[in-house]
Amino acid sequence: MKVSFPYMGSAIVYKKLFEFLEHEVIMPPKPTQRTMDLGVKYSPEFACIPLKMVMGTYLEAIEKGAKVLVTSGGHGPCRAGFYGDTHRNILKSLGYDDVELIIFDAPQDNWKAFFRNVQKIRNGVPWHKVINRMYTLYRFVQKLDELEKMVQKIRPYEVNKGQTTQVWNQIQEKFDKIKTRKELYRVYEECKQMLLSIPTRKVEEKDIIRVGIVGEIYVVMESSINFGIEEILGNLGVEVERSLYLFEWINDNLVPWILRPKRFKEIIKKGQRYIKILIGGHAVETVGHIIDFKERGFDGIVHLMPFACLPELVTQSLIPKISKEVDIPILSLPIDEQTGKANMLTRIEAFVDLLKNRKKGETKEVFIDNIQEHVQEERVVMV
Amino acid sequence: MREIYIGVDVGSVSTNVVAIDRKVNVLFKTYIRTNGQPIDSVKEGVKQLKETLGDVEVLGVGTTGSGRQLAGAILGADVVKNEITAHATATIHFVPDVRTIFEIGGQDSKIIIIKDQMVVDFAMNTVCAAGTGSFLDHQAERLKIPIEQFGDLALSATRPVRIAGRCTVFAESDMIAKQQFGFSKAEIIRGLCDALVRNYLNNVGRGKNLEPPFVFQGGVAANKGIKAAFERELQSKVIVPEHFNVMGAIGSAILAKEYIEKTGNKTNFRGFDAADIEFSTSSFECKGCSNRCEVVKVSMEGKVIAMWGDRCGKWTNSL
Ligand code: SF4
Repeated sequence: MKVSFPYMGSAIVYKKLFEFLEHEVIMPPKPTQRTMDLGVKYSPEFACIPLKMVMGTYLEAIEKGAKVLVTSGGHGPCRAGFYGDTHRNILKSLGYDDVELIIFDAPQDNWKAFFRNVQKIRNGVPWHKVINRMYTLYRFVQKLDELEKMVQKIRPYEVNKGQTTQVWNQIQEKFDKIKTRKELYRVYEECKQMLLSIPTRKVEEKDIIRVGIVGEIYVVMESSINFGIEEILGNLGVEVERSLYLFEWINDNLVPWILRPKRFKEIIKKGQRYIKILIGGHAVETVGHIIDFKERGFDGIVHLMPFACLPELVTQSLIPKISKEVDIPILSLPIDEQTGKANMLTRIEAFVDLLKNRKKGETKEVFIDNIQEHVQEERVVMV
Repeated sequence: MREIYIGVDVGSVSTNVVAIDRKVNVLFKTYIRTNGQPIDSVKEGVKQLKETLGDVEVLGVGTTGSGRQLAGAILGADVVKNEITAHATATIHFVPDVRTIFEIGGQDSKIIIIKDQMVVDFAMNTVCAAGTGSFLDHQAERLKIPIEQFGDLALSATRPVRIAGRCTVFAESDMIAKQQFGFSKAEIIRGLCDALVRNYLNNVGRGKNLEPPFVFQGGVAANKGIKAAFERELQSKVIVPEHFNVMGAIGSAILAKEYIEKTGNKTNFRGFDAADIEFSTSSFECKGCSNRCEVVKVSMEGKVIAMWGDRCGKWTNSL
């Protein structure tokens, strides 16, 4: 089967998955302006940007020869649950009757359908091999994520601008070639050394600025649509961490319930302080992560939301309140097909200026008589 | 010889150039239409500065605005800063106790919240409320009123008219309808000013704690009708500073001054000859990796002097 999938974040992981299942993999191209143009042209105007970008990616993958497209579904009341069907209908109306779209909905919603899908993509590979290789993949994702987190901590302090990104690109290429678990561990160590040998500046704890990135999964994970926000912030000297990493997503969503790490449940609980019911998307997680980042001593939050994304719109409307109560500056950036980078850059730069000022200011404020009152007013919101 | 700091603010609608002395007295200012030719407008501004001030010694140069990188490369700027920081810096200098800045220009509008002379919050328009200045120009033309008289006319209105201000497209059609109902031009203009202010405060200022003193700046601050509408809506005095339309440029000059004074560096300024030098920009898509960055290249007389837009630093570092 010539299989392809939506491009999101470290797409080599999905590629590995289908290679392990002995499919012929058609690697979808990283989304570009052309992907966006195609997606926008063939999607409903009021759909959110991830639907459009994924549509564009499908069309480009089909151009390259893909016959089967595999994707995860959505659940809960947000329209992400209809993405698969919408895409399927659009493909059909464009005359691609020979292209199959396989949608993996959450297994607990419909076990039977889930196993039917598994059977389909298992491709006749014997079960013991499947299990063994999936375990390798699980570790693969874990190691890749660990390295990416290191990248995000090294980039702000690199001496030679751009070096960390170059090393990260090399790491991804190396990972792309990995076939076995043994190889994985060896390559991982090698890559770690590569990262550790990047010359960096020394910074004192009081000068470190940490920003957490939260929001809807596609815009958080896929750099081509979020202007490469992690790199922008990194280049401005800021350490970043995302709310979502593939490894954690797998643990939270695919690993059997009892084996799941507690962290996810805690995040949800924190989120439910503000959003009590399930409204789809990643709204509750977004809020939960904002609180979690604050508790872990982060200085600010960048909230990414696809324009017209319902759950994130709800989050955005709560942000002034959360920002005030939790006491952390939050910059909300709506993302749509418009690619005006200048406006975006201005806001990000000004936000970083603000965080730096705030950090400097914190020590000064001891002299103000009524600290309590002052602190309350000082709280910042950004929309 | 007079010692000056130069500040340049290159926006999509206008390019502003100022010169200040060590005490931040504004010695020169100019306001030029960018007309999609940022290089020419920066050169023109600097040329005018030179002609007006004669022999000067330039101690430092700062640039801001959406064309800040380009202007920085052409002039050899010491500081290249975003508009929010630049605007706030200038306003704090002239109105030290300012708490809220309204900045409305040709395309962009912003709100900046200040506490203890520090930016603690800001917002910028995204899609809605963009182009307020251009919209006003367009309406003035449609109603056949010179834009300079727009504000005075609004002040002369006696009856308020409510114009739907949700977005400028609706506002325009609503204005046409109200005109047909028989409202006077003055009344309609006043209604329009109210609508734009309401829209701006709702869109850009959503969720913000707006505290006085209020300062209103940017090109649109020339319009007395809008200033009056702000005062009605906020029930408070609104200050329009003397140099309201070049505050970004002044701010970048101040930032350059602070930087030079702090570091003791010599300026990178290329000199006034820059106005006669041939600059050109081009861009290309790098195929070096899957990022496919759009890389911008600025050349001076055929020699590449600046590149940006690459995510990996491959081009930026190649100089
Ligand atoms: S400039 Fe660097 S990051 Fe951008 S496409 Fe070229 S090689 Fe890739």
